[in-house]
Amino acid sequence: MTAWGLVGLLSAMIAVKLSHFQALVLFALVISIAFGFLGRRRPMDRVKYILWTLLLFLLIGVGIGWAMYPFSH
Amino acid sequence: MSGEEGLPVASAEEASPVPPSREARREAIAFVVAAASWLVPGLGHALLKMWGRAVICFLTVGVLVWVGAGMRGNLFNSRGNDAFDSLGYLADLGTGGFYWVAKSLEKNGPDVSRADGDYGTRFLATAGVFNLLAALHAYEVARGHKV
Repeated sequence: MTAWGLVGLLSAMIAVKLSHFQALVLFALVISIAFGFLGRRRPMDRVKYILWTLLLFLLIGVGIGWAMYPFSH
Repeated sequence: MSGEEGLPVASAEEASPVPPSREARREAIAFVVAAASWLVPGLGHALLKMWGRAVICFLTVGVLVWVGAGMRGNLFNSRGNDAFDSLGYLADLGTGGFYWVAKSLEKNGPDVSRADGDYGTRFLATAGVFNLLAALHAYEVARGHKV
């Protein structure tokens, strides 16, 4: 399969339908893992950093969501 | 040699443990590593034999671009109308080669009339900014300033 064939296949595979929360969780997970690998060297430090960053992403994201709730009406 | 307060100050040649020619060569290699890292996410780290980071950088940018394009996020171009468009273009360009992959994935163009499209725009911009951060990390490692 050529590279452009692969791009065509990927293009056909995606019609991503995510809720706001699913998008938040996916974003937080991907970025936390990436930051963990870039920012720490030892495996245990990476795991701790990934979990901590993920937790903060989710807490702050949901917190900001609730803080904005009164302005949605 | 002494400084203003009488303290001994080493000249640049004495202070640096690496000869200037080797320092210049190291800088040149670091620039090549940074450029490679920008063009193909993870390639800079792969050149430095940091395989785990290389794979993670590639997958992170790839997943963010794939999901962002799938949500029909806005991929900015050089013909922006205002500063935000230009900044968005710079962020999207940060994905390097994945900019064109995202363009080819978005066959129906962006659709920011729905929330999904807006989220997709953020995913694409984040992919670019993350890749620039990874390229900077690879550059610093190649210079010997980071591990």
